[in-house]
Amino acid sequence: MTEIHDRLQEIARDVFDDDELVLTDLTTAADVEGWDSLAHVAFMYSVEEEFGVHFSDAEFGGFTDIGDLKRTLEEKVSA
Amino acid sequence: MAEAEAAHRRGDFGAALERYLVAAEASEIPPGELCLKIARCYDRLGRLEDAFAWLARIPDACDSFMVWSAAASTLGRLVKQARPPARRRSQVALAGSYTTSQLASMLPLAALGWQVDLTVREGLYDQYQQELIDPSSALYQAEPEQIIIAVHEGALRLPSHSQSPGADVQAEVERWTRLWQAARDHAGAGVIQHNFAVRPEVPLGHLSGGDPGSRYAMVQALNRELATAARDSGASMVDCDRLAAEFGRSSWFDDRYWFRSKQAVALEALPLLARHTAAVVGARLGLTRKCLVLDLDGTLWGGLIGEDGLEGIVLGGGEAGEAFVAFQEYILELKRRGVILAVASKNNEADAREVFERHPEMRVRLDDLAAFAVNWEDKPANLRRIAQSLGIGLDALVLADDNPAERQIVRRLVPEVDVLPMPEQPSDFRRVLAGYLGFESMAVTDEDRQRAAQYRARAAVAELASSASDIQSFYRDLRMKAEVAPFDELHLPRIAQLVGKTNQFNLTTRRHDAAALHGLMQDPACITRYLRLSDRFADHGLVALAIARKDEDVVDIDTLLMSCRVIGRTVEAHLLMHVSRAAQDAGATRLRGTYLPTAKNQLVADLYERFGFALIGEGEDGDTRWEYDLSGRGPIANEFIEDVIFDRDP
Repeated sequence: MTEIHDRLQEIARDVFDDDELVLTDLTTAADVEGWDSLAHVAFMYSVEEEFGVHFSDAEFGGFTDIGDLKRTLEEKVSA
Repeated sequence: MAEAEAAHRRGDFGAALERYLVAAEASEIPPGELCLKIARCYDRLGRLEDAFAWLARIPDACDSFMVWSAAASTLGRLVKQARPPARRRSQVALAGSYTTSQLASMLPLAALGWQVDLTVREGLYDQYQQELIDPSSALYQAEPEQIIIAVHEGALRLPSHSQSPGADVQAEVERWTRLWQAARDHAGAGVIQHNFAVRPEVPLGHLSGGDPGSRYAMVQALNRELATAARDSGASMVDCDRLAAEFGRSSWFDDRYWFRSKQAVALEALPLLARHTAAVVGARLGLTRKCLVLDLDGTLWGGLIGEDGLEGIVLGGGEAGEAFVAFQEYILELKRRGVILAVASKNNEADAREVFERHPEMRVRLDDLAAFAVNWEDKPANLRRIAQSLGIGLDALVLADDNPAERQIVRRLVPEVDVLPMPEQPSDFRRVLAGYLGFESMAVTDEDRQRAAQYRARAAVAELASSASDIQSFYRDLRMKAEVAPFDELHLPRIAQLVGKTNQFNLTTRRHDAAALHGLMQDPACITRYLRLSDRFADHGLVALAIARKDEDVVDIDTLLMSCRVIGRTVEAHLLMHVSRAAQDAGATRLRGTYLPTAKNQLVADLYERFGFALIGEGEDGDTRWEYDLSGRGPIANEFIEDVIFDRDP
């Protein structure tokens, strides 16, 4: 789980161009500067690429916070 | 790397950078991710120029969306603080039919790879038509030099199946070409049009191509028609349909992203599209590379000619040798499109020549080459020599060399030269050369096809000139022709330009303006002469001029100047010949001249002395006065330039 967290944080730092960005399980899109709908697409696409997974349409837009996204990822990666 | 990343994470950018740089040293082309990390560390350390330099390496290093997208946003932030160092700066507008934000942010990164500082103004979502037609649209406000029309197949007004495909396609051709015209009319902008990637879904299956009414066939026909229209009207195409095929059509169209965010091109394909679009922008900015410089052993053939001999080298006849033949054939295709070919190799020249002359499998021949630098000097020296002999900049050269050490030394010592990332296997050579985008050009003209011959001749002349023993046959061989005549209205603009800007070959640097020159033309005491020059390679235009004034039996040269482009070929002698003849015809017995030194005209300090003038006076500022005995010595002579009258038509 920490490994997934670190990789997500790394992606977020790249996508949102902020080397000091810290994600917690409770982080939502609203907490991160610059996380608009376009950045969201870039972020989710990058996550797909990094983890080698495909999100369903519901998963793509539907996570509430980073903890939620991590759970989804964990299921997909272990599946 | 783990240590470096740990340091990066805890915010110790100096330590992280040091380790990243060590990691980057380990590979010829460091991975894009690493370049990005290094750029970001430099940014945090306040070293923007280095940050830009490392961002500029990313386009060649990878095609990963993740890296590009991150690098693009870093670049977008940095350019707000400073502009990156670049060969050219340019402003483009992007008019699109889909969500082009990602593409728009990647284009400056792709352009930075060509050392172009590109500013992109993105139009509104799917407003390309309105924005191009409306002269007051925001698209035109930024005064773009180029307008990129980034559109997708879904923007076409074509039915899924047509009863009148010819008319439907024609209507679309007209619609798009009218938009191009609008871009030219409203902004004076060049047009770069993305063509239409054909969708992978074909209801008619393998019958599609045979049915002109199928959308599949219509889109293909439209792409062909648009390419022709672009060629004829000076617009540029980016062949998205080819890129989609190269990328994998079913991956290019990723409909999840279309439905979610109206992304018509899969995000992962955007770096490829951005690179190609930027290459076309570069071509339109005149940054096309001109000359491919080839190494020999291991590049044009396998083995070492000096060791293995003509029979021992690997070329043709079998798997390994066929790869070199295929590579050579592709090189000749590039020559046909106007790329100049040259050779730079460490070898005995005679050994190398023998391969070109005698090996039956050689495709590239000596007369395909504009320069042949085969000797034991280092690559950078030979690259400089080639550029010089061809009269082009180092930044027009591209090197193909199988030896990684040579490539590194060239990258380090002559960074202006572009170096192909030659793969290890000769069977991959052709693909890598074909994938190189620096030869993209605006058009292929007859002139391009002739270019190799012109440059070869020019280089031959440069070579001849370097053997000073035979300088006279060099002059003759140039077959120079000159038109020398009094100033006239037709030539006045160019005359005024030369008078205004010539610094080096200029005896007095007197900046007469156009009105003053006009006055001199009317003055019966004035002798004015311009000189237009052509030789077997080029028409150089009006390159030299003189103004002199007659006072009793003395003609005094007020102004004598020449463009530096034609130094060292007796043009000044020819001009002085005409001036001295005119002086004699006017009844003068002496010709006088003045040299007024400036910071830049040291070159001509002894000019009059060289033509037999005697020193008659010297001023305090180093200015000198000279006199030539016209009645005793007769007019100055020059036998190397033929006098002609040029046609007035261009």
